[in-house]
Amino acid sequence: MKKSIGRSSFILLCVAPAVILFTVFMILPTINVFRMSLFQRGAYSPGETFVGFDNFIYLINDAQFIRSMQNTILLIVVVTLITFCTALVFAAILTRENVKGQNFFRIVFYIPNILSIVVISGIFSAIYKPENGMLNSIIGLFTNMSNPILWKGEKLVMVSIIIAMVWQAVGYYLVMYMASMSSIPESLYESASLEGASRFTQFFQITIPLIWTNIRTTLTFFIISTINMAFLFVKSMTSGGPNGASEVALGYMYSQKDAGLFGYSMAIGVMIFLFSFALSALVNKVTKRDVLEY
Amino acid sequence: MKKIIAILLVFVMTLSMVACSSTKEQSSETTNATTGESTTAELTESDVTISVAAIETAYGSEGWVKVAEAFTAQTGIKVELTTDKNLEDLIGPAMQGGEFPDVIHLATGRPAGLTEQFIKDNNIADITDVLSMTVPGENGKVSEKIAGGFTDTSLTNPYGDGKTYLAPMFYSPCGLFYNAGLFEEKGWEVPTTWDEMWTLGETAKAEGISLFTYPTAGYFDAFLYSLMYSVGGADFFDAATHYEAGIWDTDEANQIFGIIGKLASYTNPITPAQANNQDFTQNQQLVLDNKALFMPNGTWIVGEMAEAPRADGFKWGMTALPAVSKGEAGYSYSWFEQAWIPAGAENIDAAKAFIAFLYSDVATEIFAQYGAIQPVLGIAEKLEGDNVMFYSIYDNGAKSAMGNFAAYDAIPGVETSSVFFEPVNSLVSGELTVNEWLENIKSVNDQLRENLK
Repeated sequence: MKKSIGRSSFILLCVAPAVILFTVFMILPTINVFRMSLFQRGAYSPGETFVGFDNFIYLINDAQFIRSMQNTILLIVVVTLITFCTALVFAAILTRENVKGQNFFRIVFYIPNILSIVVISGIFSAIYKPENGMLNSIIGLFTNMSNPILWKGEKLVMVSIIIAMVWQAVGYYLVMYMASMSSIPESLYESASLEGASRFTQFFQITIPLIWTNIRTTLTFFIISTINMAFLFVKSMTSGGPNGASEVALGYMYSQKDAGLFGYSMAIGVMIFLFSFALSALVNKVTKRDVLEY
Repeated sequence: MKKIIAILLVFVMTLSMVACSSTKEQSSETTNATTGESTTAELTESDVTISVAAIETAYGSEGWVKVAEAFTAQTGIKVELTTDKNLEDLIGPAMQGGEFPDVIHLATGRPAGLTEQFIKDNNIADITDVLSMTVPGENGKVSEKIAGGFTDTSLTNPYGDGKTYLAPMFYSPCGLFYNAGLFEEKGWEVPTTWDEMWTLGETAKAEGISLFTYPTAGYFDAFLYSLMYSVGGADFFDAATHYEAGIWDTDEANQIFGIIGKLASYTNPITPAQANNQDFTQNQQLVLDNKALFMPNGTWIVGEMAEAPRADGFKWGMTALPAVSKGEAGYSYSWFEQAWIPAGAENIDAAKAFIAFLYSDVATEIFAQYGAIQPVLGIAEKLEGDNVMFYSIYDNGAKSAMGNFAAYDAIPGVETSSVFFEPVNSLVSGELTVNEWLENIKSVNDQLRENLK
């Protein structure tokens, strides 16, 4: 008995620092975000006024917030879809096929992921430059452009951000898919090919079902990271412009804080929190399958 | 035995946590030292130490270090100086925790809007009495040194109650910047009226040059303020910046937006795609490369683009905004930064002495060495280089425009910048018409007026 109490208190003491840190730096601030969303106050205000759900009522009617949410959802859907497909296909090619310089491609794909977002935005600034930019120069070789294409103009700015975000993210997911694909036993593919299954059938019938758990995990990653990365990309590439055309939810939250509406920006934070939570839960539910063993 | 191990482990963990926190303190001290500014000199007898936070702009931070040292030498009050290009990010977290610097030097109109937030919260100390204080080390009063008009604008007296809350610091005449060399080469005259401007626009178009560009939509503030002055005079400016009912239905308002609309059609079409914080220098480059004739800017442009390549024979020129009709004067907006004391500052008296000292001969000379010009009498003699031409704009007939949109209680989703300046990007790219823009302004104007401070 005495021994077990000693053991419990030892475990308690060992766990305590992590639990305390987690509570102080994660749980309390999150609760505080919810609390502050019910108040009207600036970031540096000496006082605050309780306004109940007023901030949320404003939010529903705020056209700029709705536009920023639309942009965020667009990015989540499109970036996830393109990155997911590209990473999966390239991972399959790099693991299943005998490609020369396999490691070289793996590194090339992964490099964008270790670059800082500011560096990436600098690179894409040079690529998207209307005059003498890389993209317009290449297109100019094939067609006669009278006016340069404005990649960061109001019409195309979201497309430009999507391209940059996909470019940055593919390598990360590629490596994750490759890791799980390489652990699928070779014998499964051998027997499938003996029975005449094509490469495509093998991919859809063997590879995808066997890495399904991994795919589910990455889908949650996609949602969380796209919301966060979209803010970084937009902030460094376009500052939300031109005229708010590329503003995303987190960026709008940030700008409202700077406009002296700390409570309102916390209400936006609460909405994003709930949205990402709900979306992740939904995706998790929809993609639930029986785990296949091999 | 196990107990001893457990106690030891806990001790090690506690120690590592303490070690972490002390590293943090150390690193913040280093930040201060590397940003250049420590003045914890022990040679003075006074125990007061004020903390001064100043934005580092194109003028650098050296001037602040020297002025802080000079202030300590003069008064014995120590100064702990923090300067950074992203000052708001550096001092923001501590201020959220209730620790305010004693003096903050920033400019309104920055994206982080720190000064505006303090104005909206009535969180700035009244410094009207600083004007009647004697400048440390001199005999004259502060008010006798500051040039006329600079302490009675809405930028220094945001509540219009006759009290001064912000001290006017480095100022810069804003106007249209151009390549004077190109004008000489082509034999073009700098337009003095908008009609001449449009004629020049056609001439330049024939040569493949756009009439206009702008770095970002934010630069439209000085432009719009000057335009409001030149179309409707000070009365219209005051009414518009205080969101008077029906002000955007007047003839003046239509005239202003008529000019902006026409100017948008003469603007280099690639401008909006580069009008962001990442690429705005490429818009400025258009003027250096003779691809656009004019851009609204301030005198800091010379330093900002000093290393940039440029067309042969390039020479900076600056003109006031053209007048509406012949014989009238053009307007140039006087843009200036401000120093102020947060209401929650600990050493308000010492901070006031510091602000007074900023207007001393010693301080103004130090700042002028780094190109930072304060609105003090007799500053003209300390100017050098291009600045002589820029700062003489008012001597050459241009009138000075000063002020900004009046402070209002924060409204969710409504900001003057997104209402009055940002839409110019959509106008140039053809996504918005002048009428749509004006309608939007009218609908927001009432909201702003109801929330006026």
